[in-house]
Amino acid sequence: MGAPRRDRRVLITPEGVALELSLAGRGERLIAFAIDLALIAAGITVFYFVAESFAVRGGTTAAARTAALFAAFLVRNGYFLHFELAWRGRTPGKRFVGLRVIDRSGGELTPGAILARNLIREAEFFLPLSLFLSLDSDAGTWRQLALGGWAALAASLPLWSRERLRAGDLIAGTGVIALPGRRLSPDLTMPPAPAARPRTFVFTGAQLAKYGAFELQVLEEILRRPDDEAAGRLLADVCGRICRRIGWRETVPPGEARRFLTDFYAAERDDLERGKLYGKLRADKNSPAR
Amino acid sequence: MNESGRRGEILLRSAQFRRRREEGWKRLEILLERMESGGAASLSADEAQKLPLLYLGALSSLSVARNIALDRDLLLYLEDLSLRAYLAVYGPRATAMEMAGEFFRAGFPRAVRGMRWHLAAALALFLAGTAAGYALVRHDPAHYSTIIPAELAGERLPGAGGEELRRHLFTPWPGFVNAFVVFANSLFRHNAVIGVLGFGLGFMLGLPTMFLMIYNGMIVGAFVALHAEYGLTADVVGWLAIHGVTETTAILLCGASGFVLAEKIVFPGRLSRLENLARHGRTAAGVTAGAVGLLFVAGLIEGGFRQLINDTPGRYAFALMTAALWLYYFARIGRGPDDDLDNRPG
Repeated sequence: MGAPRRDRRVLITPEGVALELSLAGRGERLIAFAIDLALIAAGITVFYFVAESFAVRGGTTAAARTAALFAAFLVRNGYFLHFELAWRGRTPGKRFVGLRVIDRSGGELTPGAILARNLIREAEFFLPLSLFLSLDSDAGTWRQLALGGWAALAASLPLWSRERLRAGDLIAGTGVIALPGRRLSPDLTMPPAPAARPRTFVFTGAQLAKYGAFELQVLEEILRRPDDEAAGRLLADVCGRICRRIGWRETVPPGEARRFLTDFYAAERDDLERGKLYGKLRADKNSPAR
Repeated sequence: MNESGRRGEILLRSAQFRRRREEGWKRLEILLERMESGGAASLSADEAQKLPLLYLGALSSLSVARNIALDRDLLLYLEDLSLRAYLAVYGPRATAMEMAGEFFRAGFPRAVRGMRWHLAAALALFLAGTAAGYALVRHDPAHYSTIIPAELAGERLPGAGGEELRRHLFTPWPGFVNAFVVFANSLFRHNAVIGVLGFGLGFMLGLPTMFLMIYNGMIVGAFVALHAEYGLTADVVGWLAIHGVTETTAILLCGASGFVLAEKIVFPGRLSRLENLARHGRTAAGVTAGAVGLLFVAGLIEGGFRQLINDTPGRYAFALMTAALWLYYFARIGRGPDDDLDNRPG
């Protein structure tokens, strides 16, 4: 499989096993953050109206407004802290998109790190934003430019920083990864009902040696596609190519393409896995035959 | 292997392996799903004990599968499962409340002791600012309005006269709601912003933080100097100190955290800058969060207690009390055998 791709990172667990992670995409992070912001805004609005209604019922308006502002401060800062602690590095937005906060060095995600990355959020995003929004129109171009530039710089940090980190991640030593939560699909070499049918197609070692692990996994991906008309055409096409390459004499009837390929996959995987066990894995069809 | 050996059903080694281990994976997956939607509390004691074992099982399955299997789907699944389990096992264990409790009981004062030299630097800058502000305004009162922003000065301007200034130092009690809710709150928010700025701007090599420390000192110096013109020095110091002890401590702590960040960026030592930041940034951020807590207390004192205690000796007594309290808290609380190590909050 070679070196990890540009958006992949390797994390070594304390047990010493390397796990490959994929960094969260910038769009994904943006969507997650937008969802969180919307929830926060909704929460603050509710607080505001509750406080206002109290004010109408006889409390002083100033006190109610201040209480609402204070509540907004708490909601804004408490939201990320609470969820990232309680849900182990996820907020509702991150959960929706399938993202998680992790410790970049592979250690435990400590509460201190969560605190740090979220405190910085206040300085890198909310503060410049609120200052920028509260500027009067006659505040002077320089101040507007400076604040706007600051906000833009901080907000765009994930766009150009290594590993797509924002300032909070830099300081807290955290990163955000995508975690799809995969399901395990059935093994293709195991027939749905065990021993329901013997293998119909049998291949020789020379025929199997025409392909390597890379082609095997491409074939696996094709076989796992949902069964529809397009997939059927693709299967027939792939079947024809494989037949030509390995020199398969008999013609495979069109309806049998999936069966042929499944059998070929099982035989090829068996062959390659045996080789792998003895340290002789054919990486792809162009590797020298052994 | 001859041709006849391939006839009939092929049971691959990797398929056998999967058949034997699959049950453990499924059990882990169920536990993880419950934990991810309901938090750690949704597991029974028994299940919580099993989790690490199942995690280790998944890791070993992954290692084996990498050696014997070419089933891409299986490999990706195991990698994903191990990662999820890893995150569950090594995730944050505390709730927000527990974390805050532990932090204020020990982590905060420890972290502050760990950055005493940065704190000293912040204090030195602040005092230099104070001296400069005082000297400037005593020399020429016109500097006052350059130093102090109009919205902070209000009606307290040069030439306001001693009586006017005295009236501001000893205002009548504005009522509970106004004092503790409205005024205390707006002070808190204003100061919290300054505090977090002091820390966050440490990122820019600490220069803005230095400026912020000096400037805050200058404001205090200028303010005292204005009142000194009319012989109100003792009174204004009392008026400032009653909350200023707490507030300045908090601002200095934020500044010190900013300096920690700056130091780790400028002098990374043996580690890379990123690693170094990651190591110390958490401590510094924790101190800033604690300082924001201190600012909340300062806001209450400034908004409320200062108006309740409307005479100078009382204010001095209160200020000394708070000073002793903070000194004790930061010097003595949470001391342990590992106090001098690199302690992290939480």
